Amino acid sequence: MALEIEQFLHAKRLPHIWCPGCGIGMVTGSLLRAVVDLGLKREETVVVGGIGCSSRATGYIDMGTVHSIHGRALAFATGIKMARPDFTVIVITGDGDGAAIGGNHLIHACRRNIDLTCILFNNQIYGMTGGQLSPTMDQGDRAATAPYGQVEPAFDLCRLAEAAGASFVARGVAAQIRPLEKMIKEGIQHPGFAFIEAVVPCPTEYGKRNPPAKVIDMLEGERARSVSQAKAAAMTAAELAGKIVTGVLHRDPEAPEFQRAYAAVAADAQAEAAEQAARGDGK
Amino acid sequence: MLIQGNRACALGALDAGVRFFAGYPITPSSEIMEAMAYELPRIGGVFVQMEDEIASICACIGASLAGQVPMTATSGPGFSLMQEALGYAIMVEAPLVVVDVMRAGPSTGRPTAPSQGDVMQARWGTHGDHPAIVLAASNVADMYRLTMAAVRFAQRFRTPVTLLADEVVGHMRESFSPELIGRYRLTSGDFDFTPGYLHPDLVREVHPPHLLGSKTHPHVTGLIHDETGFPTNDPAKSEEFLRELYDKVGNHRDELCLYDVKNEGKGRVCIAAYGSCARSARAAWKLADQEGLAVEVLHLYTLFPLPVEIIQTVARRVEFMLIPELNLGQYARELRKMAEHWTTVISMGKIDGTLITPREILDRVSGLVGKYESV
Repeated sequence: MALEIEQFLHAKRLPHIWCPGCGIGMVTGSLLRAVVDLGLKREETVVVGGIGCSSRATGYIDMGTVHSIHGRALAFATGIKMARPDFTVIVITGDGDGAAIGGNHLIHACRRNIDLTCILFNNQIYGMTGGQLSPTMDQGDRAATAPYGQVEPAFDLCRLAEAAGASFVARGVAAQIRPLEKMIKEGIQHPGFAFIEAVVPCPTEYGKRNPPAKVIDMLEGERARSVSQAKAAAMTAAELAGKIVTGVLHRDPEAPEFQRAYAAVAADAQAEAAEQAARGDGK
Repeated sequence: MLIQGNRACALGALDAGVRFFAGYPITPSSEIMEAMAYELPRIGGVFVQMEDEIASICACIGASLAGQVPMTATSGPGFSLMQEALGYAIMVEAPLVVVDVMRAGPSTGRPTAPSQGDVMQARWGTHGDHPAIVLAASNVADMYRLTMAAVRFAQRFRTPVTLLADEVVGHMRESFSPELIGRYRLTSGDFDFTPGYLHPDLVREVHPPHLLGSKTHPHVTGLIHDETGFPTNDPAKSEEFLRELYDKVGNHRDELCLYDVKNEGKGRVCIAAYGSCARSARAAWKLADQEGLAVEVLHLYTLFPLPVEIIQTVARRVEFMLIPELNLGQYARELRKMAEHWTTVISMGKIDGTLITPREILDRVSGLVGKYESV
């Protein structure tokens, strides 16, 4: 398998920029294994990123890749998918890129239920710019711009995505990489907007301000806090406090997908145009 | 047929082969989007109303990277939101067209009043040193033919092109037929929409497209990159890349700079104008003629790249160059830089949300000539 994912990596661009212990590489590996397993062709697969640590993966992946602008990866991806519905379009974004500056595009991509797969790497911090707070940071945690602790509450992005209309919503943690990989694979196959939150450790910027700092302890902590969706269903809110609920949280393959719905409407418009032309009142 | 400027813009785009439009409603440009929403699905094209102007231009860039020459339309506030992405499109050499139907600004300003306040935004709105192709429409026929020219320039030079109109040009209705267009008329035969098409005469100057879905499965980035498409921090390569972006536009002013000269070489004053002010300038020339006063008119359809050659040619033969515009001299400053060695450049700005009338221009011309005679 290692060899098989290498064909999707630009060997010359390595080593990557991510810090030791960063979870982004782990999840990028999962994405590539999912791509290999699904037999996707690099000429028909496009990976779009925004700006931030996670989006930098676009520079290492040997497929059609777009390293776009901060927060707008989903808007770029919408244009690509609508122009080329035959492409498999995967968006990789982070918690700052996808949920702060790009939050509006996220909810609208969910609402449209356009057939994209969005993997949001949630490390709860702005890593590339030096550890500023992000909208998924837990209340009380410290960041370069929250020296006394984060004042605001955190987003639950999976609930947000589901409420906004995403028809596939899942959450996994880097500490449990195989289940996460399966979610990514299912998300790519899902015929609609698939949102996958990948909880990843950032030892460099998050860990140094919020113990434990060691990546092995961070991963172990994530694993310990993870609760499968099935177990979570039987737990009280108090019991769920501080837990990470994992698994496929929502799935509706029947929900109308935007590109196909558009094609149906366009077909009607074309029939109407043909009828008008036949009657001689085309314009 | 009697049609509105904004509708003529949409028709021009469709006749030029535009099959992708993403936009967001804003007065006074919305009719362009409404026309595209009606027409595109009927001919197998894509129309999407996005969640804001940022998403609109980003969707257009995505479609452009996938082989389309897309279009979006907006007005000042939306154009401001698009600026970061416009720079990205310049950097990754993604052809697309942005139409800015200008309203009186700044800020919300007066949405239904015309202005030409976005001239410098169109040139320098996005950060960093970059080239820009900016056209300006003065009537309904312009909205049609210059939209087509914008598509052609975008496609040939693989860069975004901005078409400026103003509220009056966008909303007025005039009798129009594509067949009646004289100069600068393009037809659908002038366009090749093979995705990633690069004209043979430009293959040495324009970087080959990084087209998604092609055999090269490219990497596209807004970071400074080299010919491989991957980022570089090499100073020499960085400068070379940016200069090439500039040169592919700057070296083709012959093709890109569209203009009309009326009353060539007659009179001591030239009225240089663009957009709706150019209509007033043309009317002023005819009024002056009736009153026995010769005035030259330079009607500019291309604002950027700067039409250096024609400006300096005219500047050499007139004593005054008068620039009526619906702003406080944004373009007059550009002309002054080019022309003040030979002539006196006079800015005639107006920012009350009304047009400059032919009589107002003529009064200014008479004043200048009178001043000259009294010296």
